[in-house]
Amino acid sequence: MQTSSNMKWLWLAIGAVVMLAMPQLVTSSFAIDIFIRILLFSFIGVAWNLMGGYAKQLSLGHAAYFGLGAYTSTIMQVNYGISPWIGMIAGGVVAMLASLPIGWLCFRLRGPYFTIATIATAQVLMLIFLKFRDFAWGAEGTTIPNLGSAPLMMQFEEKSSYYYVVLGLLVVGLWITHRIEKSWIGYYLVAIGEDEDAAEAIGVNAPKVKRDIYMISAFLTALAGTFYTQYIYFIDPATAFSFNVSIEAALVSIVGGIGTLWGPVIGTVLLETTSALLQSWLGSSVGGIQLTVYSLILMAVILWRPTGLIGFATDIYHRTARRKPARA
Amino acid sequence: MAEALVIKGLSKRFGGLRAVQDVSFTVQENETVALIGPNGAGKTTSFHLITGFHRPDSGSVLAFGHEVVGLKPHDVCALGLARTFQVAKPFGAMTVLANVMTGAFLRDRHIAAARNKALEAIEFVGLSAKEQTPAKDLTTIDQRRLEMARALATQPKILLLDEVMAGLNPAEIDQAVALVKKLSASGLTIVIVEHVMRAIMAVARHIVVLDHGQKIAEGAPKEIVENPEVIRAYLGSYVHPPAQGDAHA
Repeated sequence: MQTSSNMKWLWLAIGAVVMLAMPQLVTSSFAIDIFIRILLFSFIGVAWNLMGGYAKQLSLGHAAYFGLGAYTSTIMQVNYGISPWIGMIAGGVVAMLASLPIGWLCFRLRGPYFTIATIATAQVLMLIFLKFRDFAWGAEGTTIPNLGSAPLMMQFEEKSSYYYVVLGLLVVGLWITHRIEKSWIGYYLVAIGEDEDAAEAIGVNAPKVKRDIYMISAFLTALAGTFYTQYIYFIDPATAFSFNVSIEAALVSIVGGIGTLWGPVIGTVLLETTSALLQSWLGSSVGGIQLTVYSLILMAVILWRPTGLIGFATDIYHRTARRKPARA
Repeated sequence: MAEALVIKGLSKRFGGLRAVQDVSFTVQENETVALIGPNGAGKTTSFHLITGFHRPDSGSVLAFGHEVVGLKPHDVCALGLARTFQVAKPFGAMTVLANVMTGAFLRDRHIAAARNKALEAIEFVGLSAKEQTPAKDLTTIDQRRLEMARALATQPKILLLDEVMAGLNPAEIDQAVALVKKLSASGLTIVIVEHVMRAIMAVARHIVVLDHGQKIAEGAPKEIVENPEVIRAYLGSYVHPPAQGDAHA
């Protein structure tokens, strides 16, 4: 017990050193950009995984919160000059509040109907931001005023600084997930995901637990939205509420292993690396190859390893170590 | 002896089907009452009505004097009424221990306390050897044991068991009967829905018989097996029997 816990800390320490040193070792801005994407989508995946993975409430509408986070901080910054650091938290709060009515509506439905309803909410929000021009620049969107090096306004000259910001977000997301996983809430989430009626029968207030975890998930996703807008210096409804964000959030978790702490991270590393490498090798010579490979990976995982790569690795580990499987 | 559960005039329709009609019965504290009847008699529906999974059209359910009708299932459970399901509903991805701990969290949110409570319940039902087994890998009887342990972990005063013996072989039925007796001996009030007559005779002090959603008989096991209405409900009859208490027939 003691040694396995020590080993865990050792691995975490090695991981931390590598992650912190990475931007100093790798100077290619292309590589740093890929790292930032990996960290960002890992973080979004982690946020999604709290509800979609542990409680198996398959949302394909997390772009709603990504977009609300992005727009809240941008409106505050462009119109009122408020720092995106504050805007980021404000965006999280806005997303949390928005998750209440959205959840109230969507959680009346179960299974695929729930999923479809979540897609609709993100699309509706996109339309609102497209149509109401006075409110937020309509379809053209806006660029974020470039202030050069302004850390207090979340603007940096070095790409590596963005790397550290998003790394920090990911660490927070993983820490929250870890705390939840090890507490009664984690048990309740998995129970709801497994069988909501059985959970209710043993005293789990399923609607309340789902509402609360949805709020946390929405809050975190909104932080990612703010970061992304600051990173690319641009916002419009199509990027902020992009269906791709919703899909990616679910995809990285499913490929890596839903309902596991590291699943979304591992899924993102695999998918983003593959996609980036294919893009750089093949460029635009073979149109759509990237998406094809993406789809093939997804199909392979769903067909052969529905528990994701983590489940696959755990199986092998248990088979070789001949240990009894631990709690899911 | 106090009244643990008082059910009065419980009725539920599903469209044109009267699933439960004006059913009333009382369960005394620490008594084991069996709810029997042919398929479709309304036994499981009655359980759903009592535990908040369905809302009755009319009637009342008092658990130790508290009205339960209108409460959500988790609130009913918090009041001390725990149930099992006809088709066991284990949390398949969790181990036996994690399943039962989930039940224990209702009374204590601390991991260590819930764990101790869960281990106690697991030992009570005889599943200690499989504490770390994923629930989806359990045999039928062990899944039933798990359901009971999970319900027990919520520290109920009344336990509603829905066909816990279905699908078990004779040896397993004996084990299940012993377990129900042990639960009763621990002070629990038990309402059990069951088809296995041998088991009912062994555990129940009082039997309520439903047919087509109505209560057709009630009494001690010995009276029930000799009751012509009950025999008719189970075996059918060629001639319409004289209706009980129906003067103008």
